[in-house]
This record gives sequence, C-alpha cells and structure tokens, in this order.
Amino acid sequence: MSVRTFQRGAFLPHYKEFTESEPVSTLSLPPEVVIPLQQHIGAPSKALVAAGDKVKVGQKIGESSAFVSVPVHSSVNGTVIAVEPRPTFTGASVESVVIAVDPEQEEPQWPEQDHTALTKEEIKEAIKEAGIVGMGGAAFPTHVKLSPPKPIDTIVINACECEPFLTCDHRLMLERTFDLVEGATLIARVVGAENIVFGVEINKPDAIEALQKRIAGEKNISVVGLAVKYPQGSEKQLIKATLDREVPPGKLPLEVGVVVQNVATAVAVFEACRFKKPLIERVLTYSGDAAANPGNLKVRLGTPIKHVLKERGGIKGAPPPTDEDVPMPPHLVGKVIMGGPMTGWAQSHLDAPVVKGTSGILLFSPAMVVKTAHSDCVRCGKCVDHCPMFLYPNYIGLYAERGSYERAADWGALDCFECGICVYVCPANRPIVQFVRETKREIAAARAKAK
Amino acid sequence: MAEQEVLLTVSPSPHLRSPENIPSAMRDVLIALLPVTLCSIYMYRWYAVFLIAVSMAAAALFELLFRKIMKKQATLHDCSALVTGLLLALCLRPGTPWWSVILGAFFAVGIAKELMGGLGWNRFNPALFGLVAVTLLAPLYVGTTATFAPLRQFFGPLDALTQATPLALIKQGLYEQISLSRLFLLSPGGALGETSALALFIGGAYLLYKKHIRWQTPVSIIGTVLILAIFWGNPLENIASGIPLYHIFAGGLLLGAFFMATDWVTSPITEKGELIFGIAIGILVMLFRKALGPTEGVAFSILIMNAFVPLIDRLTKRPKFGEVPAKKAAVAPAGTAVSKSN
Repeated sequence: MSVRTFQRGAFLPHYKEFTESEPVSTLSLPPEVVIPLQQHIGAPSKALVAAGDKVKVGQKIGESSAFVSVPVHSSVNGTVIAVEPRPTFTGASVESVVIAVDPEQEEPQWPEQDHTALTKEEIKEAIKEAGIVGMGGAAFPTHVKLSPPKPIDTIVINACECEPFLTCDHRLMLERTFDLVEGATLIARVVGAENIVFGVEINKPDAIEALQKRIAGEKNISVVGLAVKYPQGSEKQLIKATLDREVPPGKLPLEVGVVVQNVATAVAVFEACRFKKPLIERVLTYSGDAAANPGNLKVRLGTPIKHVLKERGGIKGAPPPTDEDVPMPPHLVGKVIMGGPMTGWAQSHLDAPVVKGTSGILLFSPAMVVKTAHSDCVRCGKCVDHCPMFLYPNYIGLYAERGSYERAADWGALDCFECGICVYVCPANRPIVQFVRETKREIAAARAKAK
Repeated sequence: MAEQEVLLTVSPSPHLRSPENIPSAMRDVLIALLPVTLCSIYMYRWYAVFLIAVSMAAAALFELLFRKIMKKQATLHDCSALVTGLLLALCLRPGTPWWSVILGAFFAVGIAKELMGGLGWNRFNPALFGLVAVTLLAPLYVGTTATFAPLRQFFGPLDALTQATPLALIKQGLYEQISLSRLFLLSPGGALGETSALALFIGGAYLLYKKHIRWQTPVSIIGTVLILAIFWGNPLENIASGIPLYHIFAGGLLLGAFFMATDWVTSPITEKGELIFGIAIGILVMLFRKALGPTEGVAFSILIMNAFVPLIDRLTKRPKFGEVPAKKAAVAPAGTAVSKSN
C-alpha cells in the first residue's frame, strides 16, 4: 500500500502504547450525570424536563427548533435534580440537566430494524433525532453536514486519529468494523456519494487489515494508508492526502465534492439507523502518563470526569480513590486534559462532564507540563516550515501580540484551524494558537461593529 | 477539594512541546563551531584562546549590563551572547588588540542586539555588525596596536600572524603559494574562523542535520559564488587554475554562508526567500572581491542583505493552502510559474 500524506505538518511522539491494545470496556454508571443542553456547534437546545421529573435512557430532554442544532437525550434512568448552568470542559458554564441515576431500573433493549431499507430522508431524520454530532471533537451537527448545497461524490471517513495518546477510533475500527462500514454506507447514501474512502494512518496496520477484509469485493469503498503525521486528521489535509483535492481558503470540503466524517460518528449513525439508538454514550481514551489504569472506555454522556478517574484507580502512585474523593497529589499529576493533547482543554477541576465531542481524558504528570515562559520570536521559521495551511504563524503572533489584528489576519490568522503545530515546534514557546484565537475574536467583533 | 483544584495547570492548547528550545539550539551552534574553533587554536595557540575568551566574556557581560540598564530580565541562559561572542572572535585576525575585541562585542551585543530590543528584534547580524563597526573605526586607532605588544612576549612568536591572507594572494595572482588542499584542511592567514574549510563544512553539516538551518541559504551563496567565479573572465582558464574553489575555501565565505547568513533572526522566513537572499549575497560577495577595493566583502554583503529581509519576506509571501486555484494549476503546463510550495 502506498502511503500518502499532505505537505508540511510534523511527526509527533505517538504515546499510543498506553492504550492501543486495550479493548473497549464499559464504565460503570456514575451516581449523577450532568448533561449540557449544548454539546454541539449551533443553537442551544431548550430543556424539555424540569427538576423532579423521572427520565429514562434515551429520552429526549432537550430540543431546539433551529436547523443547526441537535436534540439532547438522557443517558441514564433517574430523576432530574436540577436544570441549571454547570461548568463544562471549556470552563464556561452551560445550561445543563442534572440527573440522579437510578441504577436499579432496567436498561432498554434497542429494537433492531433493517437499516438498509431506510430512504435518504429517513436516514437523515434518524441522525438528527439521535442527536449525532461530529465526534472527533468539533461537534458540528451531522445532519447539517449531510445537507450540502452542492453535489457530493465522495465520503472520506476520518480514521487518522492523528492526535497522540488517542486510540478510541482505532479500537472502534477493530471491534466495530462491520458497523463502521455500514455507517459510512448510510452516510454516503444520504448525500448520494458514490465513493467511500477510509483514511487511516499506517501506525494502525491491524485496523487497515480489518477494514480491507471487510470491504473486500466492494468496488466503491477503499482504504488509504496515510503517513503518521500531525495534523493528518484535519479535514482539508485529509482530503488532500486521500483524494488530492484542495479545499480553497474559507471554504468547506463540500466545495470539492467531499464530506468528511469521523469513525465514531459513522458508528453512531449506524446505531441510530439500526437500533434507533440516540447518542447517549461514546468511546473515549483515558490515558496519560499519570493515569493508574489507562484504557478505552465506553462512557455515558454526562459522566463527570471525576467518576472516570475514580473507577480507573485515579493517579498512578497516589492513594486509591475513595467514594468521597480522588487524591490528586501535585507531585504526581500536573494537568488534566479533555480531548487530545494538541487541541484539548486543560481542566481546573474534575467536575466537567463527558460530552459528545470528548475523545479523551488525559492525565499528565508534572514532568509533561510545559512551564517555561515564552520569549520573543527569533524568526527561526520552524512554524512556517510546519504550518499545514501554509500560513505565517510567526507574523500572526507578532502582530496579534501588539494588537495589530488586521495585519495578523493579513498573514493568515483567519485561515488557521488551531492544530497547534506551530506552538509545538516553537523554540521560543510562543502561544501562537492563543494569538490566533485573540485575532479571530477581535476581527469578528470589529466586523460586527462595522455592520 | 478546593485546595487541590488550584494545583492543576490550566493553559491553552497544545499541551505538548518539542524538546527543542532556544538554549538547546544555541548550544548546537556552539557545538557546530567547535571544529573550526579547535583549528584556530591549533593554528594560533594562545592568540586564539585569548581572543575567543575575551570576546565571549565581553559579549556576555555587555548583554548583562545592557539588560540591567534597560531593566529587563537577564537572558544569559539562552546562550545567544556566547554564540555572538564566539562568532565575533572567529571573524577577527589573531593579534587583534583586546580593547578592539571588547569594542566589537559592545557594538555586537549592546548596540546591534540589545538596543534593538533584544534577541529576535535585531535587524542585523550582531557579530557581523560588531566586526564591521571595529573595521570602520580602525583608522582611529592605527598605531595604537602597540597596546597589544606587551602581551606578545607571553604568547610567544608566531609566523602565522604576519602571513598574507589567501584572499590577498588570490587578488595579487599569487594563489599558487598556497595549495588548495592546505586551504581546505588547515591553513593560516586571515581570521580565526578562516583556518579550515573542512571544519566549517563539518559544522554546517551538523546544523543541517539538526535542522537548525535550511540548505537553501548556504547552497545558494556558495553556488552563486562558484558560478560567478567560473564565469567571471575566461571560464576554461578559471577552471584550470582552480580559482573558483579558492574563492569558496578562502576568506570568510563558508563561515558567513553556514553561520552568519543562516542566523534565524536576520534571514528570510521562507525557503524561497532564503534562496533569493543567498543568491544576492553571493553576487555581492563577488562584486566586493572582484570589482571593489577591499579583499573581503562577506560581512558587508550579509549585512546589506539583512536590511532587505522584511522586503524579501513580503515579496515571497506564499499562497495559503488551497489558494492556488486548481483551474490555473491544471491549465498551466508543468514547469511554469505556478508556484508549487513544498
């Protein structure tokens, strides 16, 4: 198999050895779940329940009439304790439904139906009703992505998992190969795409083999081996690598006739169509050098990360967690991240719940935590060498630092998708991604003001 | 529970860093300069040791002093002052008076770097700026070299000190006095850093291997000089005499191509920019050597091109990912002006 890739980018240490051979295991139910009404990009859902209501697994508890939005479902049986703002993984508080879990009540059996008999519209409706969003991290509503205004000829399944540490998609590819391909086929039917391409980084040879075995004889489905290079899993870079098509700046993949979906999303689509099962749980990677017992876990949405830590033995070398608390000695754990190590969010506490876009929970020892202050740009050009969007991160940082946001935009700040590779390679440790976010915010504010 | 919450580090993504930082890169530059430094010490003994020690110490002290005066944090740990100090020493001829070295370090670190805002903000290569400053001020202290004389009895006599530089010999048509192989391996004459072309190639190769510099700058400078040296005059005669290789091995060309023009701060930010930068330096070097008065012009050439770096950056601004329209790229036949950024 020829190995393809995109231009620039960088080779990162993988750190996948912690969990890549760990089969997915199901995490126990927490005593309480916190389900944010907005776990997606778009309009927030409105609560359909109030404190005191009994809810069941899969019951819709939040909904919006806006098109760019998805409903939210209860992931447990139990009683609503409150509907109130609760902190999420970004640190911002979001209106959430807090449910006390009733572990005694029986879990539902999902009735099977023939998913191949569904029409395009039925599939799309099922996807929307199930509340499915992009599960790679962006959390964009899938049914919106599957309503492109232009013809689509190819579905690219993003099976790169290019972020270090994360292995949940890898495990899904191995353990749910059939469901994954069925899900991809359903997605292709919705948009009328003829071809399906799986883009897999070649550090997952077993996944490539499993997929090839599954699609043997299928003419329109192919597997492409991709170089293990970050950010291979970014949509534009993935399309370039698999199909050699370039999405113009500021445009979406549909511009070149492509829709990209992540592995977990495709599996969720299959479950929504086959079992009418809403998105109430997801597989995530629990890892990091400070995790006592790393693994790939199937976790109910709304589970606070503290419960995950508690169930998995907490911090390596620290006293085991008790019912009350998870000991977090500062000499053993320095950082808790939700998501991948390149684009994830550092946590200040353990209360944030697992949401639809949570691909990982990572525990870093203090040795892994970057503590050096940043210095002035020395123009080494490493960021320019590695930027997968061919931007000028050095100039973006310099101009944003002194408040010249328009000039930062001139050098490409608005085209940046914040992969973080510039910061990774920067010998001066400059927080360029932070400068980019600042520029985007300031430019948006200035443009809104001008209107 | 509250007390443990504050102990987690919260910082924006990404949460991983490459192990490389400015101090480690600067240390690699010092390592890359080690072969030529050893060659110069072998050649000039205590004269070289003295020059290098004074220059590095002065550079470090001026950095400390200037940052103290400007109430900025000390940055000695980034090792950039030591690199500047060593490079300055390597640009000087043995027997350069100690106070001239200190004056050079003052201009290099104090004026060219710290007064410009510190590492990263300097427009001109500090070591070359220091070198050119003392060169231009030389007429002021002709005759005062006697200050250095008392020290000589301690260092002992050295023939190498009074030898004509290879470049001067070339200019006088006397290049046959010095064989090409000696010039390549180890030969006296000129500055400390001009003693061995081989040592400079080894150092340059190390920097390339460590990916601190790109091939574009040294290759375009050396390539341009080589081509011009061949075609300036009768090409056949030039090749037969080996003069083009003299131009590369002699003088400060290799030191400039591998260690000065590649300086992160004062060179263009893209590969394409570096090619333009390097070719321009090569042309200027040959103009200085062939058409203008002084025998050596590498330092001036690089400093002149340092001033053009912002302009080069703007003119070579590459298209963003997906910005080159597919249609245009498809219509244009291979090998035309459609830039294919790699």
